[in-house]
Amino acid sequence: MTGCFNFINPLAVTEEPGTTAGDFYTRNFEKKAVPGRIILNLGPQHPSTHGVLRILCEMDGEYIVRCEPVLGYLHRMHEKMGEVKTPWQFIPNMGRVDYLHPLAWTWAFVGACERLAGIEIPERAEYLRVISCELNRISSHLLWWGAFVMDLGGVTPILYAFEEREKINDILQIITGSRLTMSSFRFGGVCTDADERFKSLAKEFIPYLRERLKMYKGLVTDNIILRRRLEGIGPMDADICRRYGATGPILRAAGLARDTRKDFPYSVYHKFDFPVPAGPANDCFGRYLVRLSEIEASLMIVEQALASLPEGSHIMEKAPKANWKLPAGESYMAVEGARGQVAVHVVSDGGPKPYRVKLRAPGFSNLSLFAEAAAGTLLADAIAILGSLDLVIPEVDR
Amino acid sequence: MNGPEQWLNDWRKAGALSLSRHDPAKEGITVSAFLPAAALISSAEKLGQAGYTLLDISALEALEGLVVTYHFDSFKEPGRLALRVLVSPRKPALPSLYSVFQGAEWHEREAADFFGLVFENNPNLIPLLLPDDLPGPPPLRKKNGALSPISKLGLLGQAEIIDPGFGAACGLGE
Repeated sequence: MTGCFNFINPLAVTEEPGTTAGDFYTRNFEKKAVPGRIILNLGPQHPSTHGVLRILCEMDGEYIVRCEPVLGYLHRMHEKMGEVKTPWQFIPNMGRVDYLHPLAWTWAFVGACERLAGIEIPERAEYLRVISCELNRISSHLLWWGAFVMDLGGVTPILYAFEEREKINDILQIITGSRLTMSSFRFGGVCTDADERFKSLAKEFIPYLRERLKMYKGLVTDNIILRRRLEGIGPMDADICRRYGATGPILRAAGLARDTRKDFPYSVYHKFDFPVPAGPANDCFGRYLVRLSEIEASLMIVEQALASLPEGSHIMEKAPKANWKLPAGESYMAVEGARGQVAVHVVSDGGPKPYRVKLRAPGFSNLSLFAEAAAGTLLADAIAILGSLDLVIPEVDR
Repeated sequence: MNGPEQWLNDWRKAGALSLSRHDPAKEGITVSAFLPAAALISSAEKLGQAGYTLLDISALEALEGLVVTYHFDSFKEPGRLALRVLVSPRKPALPSLYSVFQGAEWHEREAADFFGLVFENNPNLIPLLLPDDLPGPPPLRKKNGALSPISKLGLLGQAEIIDPGFGAACGLGE
């Protein structure tokens, strides 16, 4: 592991002008550091940073005195691309913002455009969106679960998680056509209808995963080593969530049952009976439990939606195509993503391309509280806190 | 607990330039206001005290200048609302909300990267997403011919213009 860290000892820096160690961000960060303390670069290629996040830490022995995430290594300027493509051409971008829950982003963008244009989609399409988005949420949580436990030193569980994830990918591939950058929603519906194979595979998957979740509990959740690494570590209460705009499982672990699917009802979620797990603890273990409960809640939604899937078309007649223009105006649409409130703010002047597309990434706000939460903790605990935030860096950087 | 109408009243007292009602089912927000930059912090403080959080900062360049939109939502009683500030592109400075919402630091740095905005009293106003040595104008600023007026972008919703100067600048009457 040591090889992944890049130590810069300020005492070793020569005094000659122009030869200071570190880059722009290190030098800026160093200005406030106490002389003699080690500045540690965690990332951007460290395995526990999930992508390419870099965190500058001022260390006092094993303790983090102060830290600052450095972003931008995966920045692709999706917001600019939104202004140079037609809305229809921009849909595939949404599959690439957050590669673990791409359908939430696709939904937020497609939904914002549909609301602005006053488009109502067939009920079957709404159901298919719900089913695919929830299956996608489960696969996102499963990957988080495996990767999080791996961050803490348990290498085996991610292999189990990937087995489940493969099954979900096989199912979703039938109606989305992809296994990672899914962006199958279209203005007016979804691109492919569900066939019998999709329905039977999805129905079989629900009891299968429920059984596996019992195994997860015995193998990992009740494991004493895991608990000692997580319980009481990184408490985040409702106030820090409010000050930083943190949403999703972090906010729910803090005891507030806030969920966009209930608070700003969209699509057909009001037709399904599902719990919003909140609490019982606001530490790393609490966030772990909330996500596992959410997998079960999503299974409940998928089960109900499959049982009551209405007949009809999967896309409206004369659905908008590549040259479709948005009417003038603005729309802000939020959906509940695996990491929190995903929102897209579309502003149009009636021209062929959107005037402005703003992407609100939940991971961005959730990560912004890390510096405050990690100050004063052991470096090893900071890794647990980072993992408990469930970061997807391409979403943070956009 | 303040409802949308009470917020409109609050902002009127704070010296808002215009007040707007929106269709939440279509536009996703209930009410919004254009505030003078000087009234931004005190209005944000009131929202913070009432349990609101800052969701994001969504800036754009319109014909009249840079429009900086702050989206808020309440954890107690969900309902989105927006505060807006119109900033001159020649002197794009406005106060930082860091003292009220610490999460504003990053949103402001992002808006600074993309639009060249300067947030006074942001504790660490260095590039966040873009390289520190990126040449050229900020990437989301528009070319002169491509600018649209605020009224056309629908940012005013059903608006009540309070400041006649602001209304005239936006091409709207009293």
